[in-house]
Amino acid sequence: MSATRVDGPVAPKRSWVRRAGERLIARPGRSSVLPLAAVVIGLALAALGMFRGAPAPLTEVPAGYVALVNQKGILLSDFISQVETATMKRFDEATPEEKSRVLRSMIDEELLVQRALVLDLPETTIEVREAMQQGVEAQVAEPYWALPPSDAELRAYYDKTRSEYTNDGTMTVHDLVMHVGGFQNANQSTPQALSDAAEAVYRLRSGASVDYVKEHYGFVDSNRLPAIEELDFVVKMRLGEKLFEVASALGNGDISDPVIEDDGVHVLVMDVRRPASVADFTSVRDKVYQAYRRAQGERATAENVKLLRSQAQIILAPGEEE
Amino acid sequence: MLVVAGGIAYAHEVRQERWRARLVSTLPGDVADDPALVAFARAEAPPIYAKHCAACHGADMRGNPEIGAPNLVDNVWLYGDGGVFEIERTILYGIRTGNSKSRSVTDMPAFGQRGVLSDADIHSVVQYLLKLSGRPYQVEAANEGRRIYTGNANCGDCHAGDARGDSYYGAPNLTVNVWNSGGSPEDLYKAIYFGEHHTMQAWFGTLSLFEIRALAVYLHVVSHEPAAAVRATLAARTAP
Repeated sequence: MSATRVDGPVAPKRSWVRRAGERLIARPGRSSVLPLAAVVIGLALAALGMFRGAPAPLTEVPAGYVALVNQKGILLSDFISQVETATMKRFDEATPEEKSRVLRSMIDEELLVQRALVLDLPETTIEVREAMQQGVEAQVAEPYWALPPSDAELRAYYDKTRSEYTNDGTMTVHDLVMHVGGFQNANQSTPQALSDAAEAVYRLRSGASVDYVKEHYGFVDSNRLPAIEELDFVVKMRLGEKLFEVASALGNGDISDPVIEDDGVHVLVMDVRRPASVADFTSVRDKVYQAYRRAQGERATAENVKLLRSQAQIILAPGEEE
Repeated sequence: MLVVAGGIAYAHEVRQERWRARLVSTLPGDVADDPALVAFARAEAPPIYAKHCAACHGADMRGNPEIGAPNLVDNVWLYGDGGVFEIERTILYGIRTGNSKSRSVTDMPAFGQRGVLSDADIHSVVQYLLKLSGRPYQVEAANEGRRIYTGNANCGDCHAGDARGDSYYGAPNLTVNVWNSGGSPEDLYKAIYFGEHHTMQAWFGTLSLFEIRALAVYLHVVSHEPAAAVRATLAARTAP
């Protein structure tokens, strides 16, 4: 056995990986080897990507799914949830038959949804279009609803929309009529009736009762309106525009001047008048809150549509305008 | 060199893919019982959490009362029972996303703003909540608060008659002194006055099923650890 003479300090033992690396680095052409290798690998990968066809259809159900229906997966999580909802049992307590039944119904549902897309139901069926529209609106509105209004914002909204909180006015009014010119067998002329009516109005304003003027001047109830408290719009509908306008100007206990209509001379006796008024904020704050929230949703929809329009290509036919 | 490195990386990726598939295809209720899967999920989930969840729930996972983002490590769950399946459902479909699979049965009404409760009523209910959660309270106001809770405010409809909440509605348990939007009397007043309507995005489609499952397992495990530690401590104390 011969001893090997070593001059100087003993060199540490190096691994083959390090030695190979050092050899590679020590080569004169090292500066071009690594980039060249990278370029070749990159080109090979790109070529592979370019010439590879469409991905092959799945033949096995991927992890996390329970079924593939025309390549569309049914999530395991959705399946568990549906089994628990349908059977009212924990998933591990449901029988295999129950699970099979649920899976079958989920597959059927998926098939019908896919068929609906083939039939282009969003294009042809109003209910589907509405459901889709509402679904998108609900999604864009949620972040807005997460922002509750401050009291000041709610108050400002009320001030801006206070006409929305107008209470309907009501009135209890007698509509007396003196028929003329053969109407209801009446034989007096319109000037005669007006003269009598003016006198009757004078009596009423002096304190005479409605029954008194009916008895002494030939007035009768017009029967257009019962003498009970009615909302303004009901009175308007029953009496007509002209008499309603007269009635609206009367206060509690007021008697109108005679009013000529086709059927004779009318006199209105206002028992009680409660004019329309704007409800104060406190009494309608819940309505204001609800309206504010609705407006938030509408604003979200409007902004979403604006965004979609900015990204869409919309071409109108000649002569058409939005 | 490159071939060897590529081969090692490829082998590693194949192995990881097998683990991912196994994690995702295991029934959610069974994952927590498989230590190997739990270990895998725990190793994979933190970067996903840091990238997608920490902005709201905090890097320390302790939530953010400013935005109503819950603490994820206290094992008190707004929705579901804290099991992997329920956590996964929340991550998949989110909370109040407008998606009908999301958690969106109801939300906390703005009792003050809508004029359902007066300021005095709300003050009383706050005192009752302080009592329920084991903190100092004003006795008379708390008694009045209890009447309001069960009376015209109908709080029990969502939070239950015993105030222990209902995780189906996402109505918090009011007896455990855990408050997603802050628990000071002022915070409680605001929650009742303005209501609560917090949202969480649906992650299905953004994250892979594997990422969602890994997060669900991770959250389930870390949220149960403190409780497990407490149970272990109690067991040790009561051991003969």
